[in-house]
Amino acid sequence: MTLAGPTARRPRGALRRTVAVLIALAFLFPFYYVLVTSLNSASQSSTLADLLLPHWHWENYARAWAAAPWPRLFLNTVLIGACTVVLALATSLLAGFAFGVMRFRGRGLLFALVMAVMMVPGTVLIIPDYIIATDIHWLDTYWIQIVPWGASVFGIFLVRQFFLGLPAELFDAAELDGAGRFRMLWSIGMPLVRPAMLIIALQIFLASWNSFLWPFIMTQDPNVQPVEVGLAAFAGADGTDYPGLAAAVVFTTVPVLAFFLVLQRHFVTGAMSTAGGVRG
Amino acid sequence: MVQLSERVRRRSRPREGWAGWLYTAPALLIFSVFIIGPTAYTLYISTFHWNTLNPSMSSFIGTDNYRQLFQSTTPDFLTSAGNSLYYCAAMVIGGTALSLALALLLQRGGRLLSAGRVAIFAPHATPIVATSLAWVWLFNPQFGLIDLVLKHLHLPTPQFLFSSSWAMPSVIVYSLWHEVGFTVVLFLGGLAVTSGELSEAARVDGASPWQEFWHITWPQLRPVTLFAVVITSITSLQAFTQFYEMSRGGPAYATTTLSYLLYQEAFVLFDTGYGAALAVVLFVVTAAFTLLQRRLGDRIAADL
Repeated sequence: MTLAGPTARRPRGALRRTVAVLIALAFLFPFYYVLVTSLNSASQSSTLADLLLPHWHWENYARAWAAAPWPRLFLNTVLIGACTVVLALATSLLAGFAFGVMRFRGRGLLFALVMAVMMVPGTVLIIPDYIIATDIHWLDTYWIQIVPWGASVFGIFLVRQFFLGLPAELFDAAELDGAGRFRMLWSIGMPLVRPAMLIIALQIFLASWNSFLWPFIMTQDPNVQPVEVGLAAFAGADGTDYPGLAAAVVFTTVPVLAFFLVLQRHFVTGAMSTAGGVRG
Repeated sequence: MVQLSERVRRRSRPREGWAGWLYTAPALLIFSVFIIGPTAYTLYISTFHWNTLNPSMSSFIGTDNYRQLFQSTTPDFLTSAGNSLYYCAAMVIGGTALSLALALLLQRGGRLLSAGRVAIFAPHATPIVATSLAWVWLFNPQFGLIDLVLKHLHLPTPQFLFSSSWAMPSVIVYSLWHEVGFTVVLFLGGLAVTSGELSEAARVDGASPWQEFWHITWPQLRPVTLFAVVITSITSLQAFTQFYEMSRGGPAYATTTLSYLLYQEAFVLFDTGYGAALAVVLFVVTAAFTLLQRRLGDRIAADL
């Protein structure tokens, strides 16, 4: 993507770059605006300069940090995200391997079932799963936030595509050596599908971190709630403390944004592979 | 020689029987318990006047919940279906056009344009709860930046999220900011595989940039565009968090979409049966879009 084509040297290239920079800055502006809001006091907001320049009221951060059990909420979010990723990777690897490499009776039927799951949106599941969670006493637990998302159609599909792309002889040869199926998957399959696993892990972790409706409905107890639900509760309770709320927005968003920036190349690959054209 | 014997042996290899079922079992178990079963359960619940506190006290009412969809309740189903349509149409048309334009602007190029791509994708990676609050402040009619700028320019200052005609456009502006990065990446993927030779030939023949786009680039992007349209429709139909955070479905139900109404009926008013009927409607629409998406996905894969 670093091809400096002939267009880049023409004057039109300069105009294009200027427009691109302006648009990029416009997209980044809301981030700056929250940052400034978090450092101003609630009363001083009458002029443009007041709104756009920080006045360094760091106490907003102390006030926001004291208003909710943030360390606990962060811990919950990371724990839920990590467990969901581990579970989803395991189920995707096993099922994707079976669908991509193994031949068995009913394979077509089961795969059609998996693809049918894609048709059901989370909003539709919230009512029956709430009732089920009540029945099995999973409300207000980590379980209800992890297990239902521990299998991913996207994950299974991506792993399967990867295995289909590998020469079948690879696994035949291993079987010839008398290696067990699971050892075959573990020692040959795993290292080869690592790029797919990374994409799946990132997607699922980010989706878990950014999810709201599900944990909002399924949990009441801050001891098991994730950060975003805590932030929404804070926004509902202290709706008028804008600087404090902005400070909370900053310290809850910076970790996700940093995570994204460090790994942005892989996110883009992931988004592209969602389009159906899988590019390792 | 090796290849030949390999092929013969492969054909004679016995089917792997139960092992395939064993390997797919963990994923299928989770799907069955939390997705497939519950979908059928939703259909079942939607035929009851469901008693939330004691489900065994629920009474079977057949299609009454569905009939209620077309009766006047506040807010009624048709109004929220209209709001969903408004939001989806704006996201699909506005989002697709904007993403295509941004992708054309930011494709290839040097480090600067690459940074631009990251900047536009970044909002998509942020939690909606957090970043929608930033836009609530930007849109605030008392101290918000947009209001102040409009005043400076002596333009009319609408009440934005507090106005029933401006609330939906305001949520749409936020959602475009949040979602567009994803579709831009889809289009960038499409543009990366368009034929450079065809474009080059068009330029040599003296085609203007517009002609080149319209006759050469755009036809090659059609499958990706269709895909972006379908995926945007599905996610827009699901949108809930920004409506909860920015407008709570108001004012005067102006931003009560189907997803929001479902939440409202099932978890605020505790009319679970009616909420389930809404869920069934949402499911049918989403399933139709997903089938369409799969068709298109296959076509895109074939085209690539």
